[in-house]
Amino acid sequence: MGQQRIDDSRLDVLKELANIGVGNAVTSLSQMLAGEKIDMDVPAAYLIPLQDIPASLEGEETAVVGVYIEGKGDLALTVLFVLSLESAANLISALIPGSSGDFDEMGLSVLMEVGNILTASYLNAISMMTNLQLLPTPPEVAVDMAGAIISTVLAEARVIDDEVVLLKTTLNTSQTRIEGSVLILPDEGALEKIFRILGLS
Amino acid sequence: MMMSMAIESEVVKVKIADLAVLKERGIIITVGLGSCVGISLYDELSKVGGLSHILLAESRQFKNRENSLNHAKFADTAIPLLVNKMENMGAKKSRLKAKIAGGSQLFAFQKTNISVGERNIAMVRQTLRELDIPIVAEDVGGNYGRTMRLFVESGRVTISTVGKGEIEL
Repeated sequence: MGQQRIDDSRLDVLKELANIGVGNAVTSLSQMLAGEKIDMDVPAAYLIPLQDIPASLEGEETAVVGVYIEGKGDLALTVLFVLSLESAANLISALIPGSSGDFDEMGLSVLMEVGNILTASYLNAISMMTNLQLLPTPPEVAVDMAGAIISTVLAEARVIDDEVVLLKTTLNTSQTRIEGSVLILPDEGALEKIFRILGLS
Repeated sequence: MMMSMAIESEVVKVKIADLAVLKERGIIITVGLGSCVGISLYDELSKVGGLSHILLAESRQFKNRENSLNHAKFADTAIPLLVNKMENMGAKKSRLKAKIAGGSQLFAFQKTNISVGERNIAMVRQTLRELDIPIVAEDVGGNYGRTMRLFVESGRVTISTVGKGEIEL
């Protein structure tokens, strides 16, 4: 993608795919949290300059937790969950009863597992709609400044284009007080594949 | 890409895949260096300072798309571009000194033997060597992000991190 402009109707399709995919993921998270209701914003799909992605989350220098997973198979995409430190601690405490919510080995592995389950359900939804096989890679987690996490993910994804499609949504739960963002970055060629399958190319 | 001319006590922010040059005064800052590398070049005599924030090591592998590439994104093209812009503002290449930071590995990726951060650092070193610009200070590697500031009046460079405070390079 990138060399050719992407129009609004295509962005709408991506938004809808993200909506169903993330919706599926949120159902999984809700099951992990004993059926707690989770509010999810309708995902936004942007064509955004690469340079502006780090600032698309609040506070580039703010310490956050990032869980990074790639979807691989018939096409490739990168998924990043960003949680505030407080939200991540709340999530750990909610899933390990009696835990203090520390970012120790146990806490971090809980966050990675949540990322894993969310991404797997998102990828499942995409697979169902497109018949493409997609599997998540093992998750990676980092606790650091948001800007450093995002720029590292962009480097890992080897983003060459100066404008990329970014899908973003936020979710929050009232009881366990979890607020997070999901960023989905389709790899080069991934979008064209999706559009072709959906008869949009 | 943004070029900035010297304005009194100006603070210029360099985004990823971007660079900036100031003369005599002002601060150039780049936030959130992870596997990216920040390269500060400074000419003490003319007090011209430049800062570049590269994302990837090499543009060479994307030759077929050379025309559409942002040269500030890659170590091998960003540094010569930065030197050029600094020379245009009165710096001399032979007087330039480099300070570099970043190239860390935030995630414990196991997929390749050499991380993106390491590759970036290696290419920054190689490019500076080819240009005969000495590296006089560095804070690279590790597993944490960095914010880099260049104080153009003095050439002082500081690095701040989450939970580890600020150091001077």
